[in-house]
Amino acid sequence: MMRILDPTFGPPPAAVAFPRASRPHSLSGATLGLLANGKSNGMALLDRLVERLRERHDIGDVVRIAKTNASVPVSDGDAETLAGRCAAIITAIGD
Amino acid sequence: MPIAATPQDRTPRDGVDVADLWAAIETCYAKGWTDGLPVVPPTESLVDAMLAAGPWAPGDVLLHEPVRDRAVTADKAAINAVMAGCLPEYFPVVGTALQAIGDSSFMLHGPATSTGGAALMVVVNGPIRERLGFNAKANLFGPGNRANATIGRSLRLVLLNCLDCRPGVLDKSTQGWAGKYSLCFAEDEASSPWEPLHVSRGFAVDQSTVTVFAAESGHNVLSHGTADPELLLACFADAMAGLGSMSPGRTAIVFAPEHAAHLRRAGWTRQQTQSWLYDHAWRTLADLKRGGKVEPAFYASPALVDWLYQDAPRGRPAALPGADDAGRVQDGDETVRVHRGLGREDIMLTVGGGDAGGHSAFFPSWSRGRSVPFVTKEIPV
Repeated sequence: MMRILDPTFGPPPAAVAFPRASRPHSLSGATLGLLANGKSNGMALLDRLVERLRERHDIGDVVRIAKTNASVPVSDGDAETLAGRCAAIITAIGD
Repeated sequence: MPIAATPQDRTPRDGVDVADLWAAIETCYAKGWTDGLPVVPPTESLVDAMLAAGPWAPGDVLLHEPVRDRAVTADKAAINAVMAGCLPEYFPVVGTALQAIGDSSFMLHGPATSTGGAALMVVVNGPIRERLGFNAKANLFGPGNRANATIGRSLRLVLLNCLDCRPGVLDKSTQGWAGKYSLCFAEDEASSPWEPLHVSRGFAVDQSTVTVFAAESGHNVLSHGTADPELLLACFADAMAGLGSMSPGRTAIVFAPEHAAHLRRAGWTRQQTQSWLYDHAWRTLADLKRGGKVEPAFYASPALVDWLYQDAPRGRPAALPGADDAGRVQDGDETVRVHRGLGREDIMLTVGGGDAGGHSAFFPSWSRGRSVPFVTKEIPV
């Protein structure tokens, strides 16, 4: 019998630290956040998605934020803006 | 094999009990802990010996990847280094290389996950090259040397096991390439016409360092027919300006000793060589457009517009093309030279390879954009 050690990171602590946000009951009048992940066509994809959503929902304001680089996390300020203003957020990567 | 004293504050490590050596190897496969090749089973005694050879405590964080908030401790790095086949004395190099790719400027999430499929190139300089027996000579990118093979492999195992950069999961490389198994080598400092690479980057000659780079697959630059520096370097500039890899990104060149000797005899300096390569590695904007290399999104990026027009005889046009005609060749595009990179500092020159043969290598940086910088760090000894 021998014992070998686990080389992996293990369960991510973030899964414990961040509870799931409550789901909006309706998008009617809701402020929608868009977070493009920093690749060249992410916002184009999100804008088209909003067009389609507007056909079915009476969406309110839209907050559009594009990360400058896909290799860095969203800034604290942008995250706070999205969390503070938006009822729902959609993020996308479009290359 | 020496066994380190177990630190008093260590918590029990997660692990798996297996029947024997073969079961251990197969368990690593079954759990997805390998790069496809068999690994050395990481027993507690082997991992302790690895840790004891470095300056870090088990819980020290060697690399933190902020996009996914993942931290790689020295303990996990040591486990993966054992699995890769490292000797304990390699561990300071492994740990330093992890710190280098974890430098915030390197923005590891991109090259670790992108469709571009970059390898993590590690160039070793200084006295440690000989002490650990790195290969800087024949077949230095290929198989046959334990330090080269296993130190580079350690980085990949850390990405696989600690950052979830598994093919098709978080590693979305369209193709990847063989350098992703391992791409670690020493500079052949004795064959270089210049000061060692790390000295050119601000370190002392008696320091040992790693320099890391996110590298796409290398291109063989073949030239046996000339000793004239400009004729020789024309081959490199041509490879650098190939449409397939043309970008505003960086360049790593590994000169074969034979090519390096031509530059030495001619008295060319490092800066002169970098400048000549930058000046001659260009395509016209029209060429780029004919190759479909100018995307509509480029004209929405001030940095990319600067790149396209920084060597334009008449500067940038008063009205930039819109998204619909970004790729259409316009008046003046035939006279606009678009260079690889933004300046000579974007071209890293190093030396390595067998003494015979006019085969050097050009490695383009990962990504069609600016990519990530070279990062050099001292190895603690």
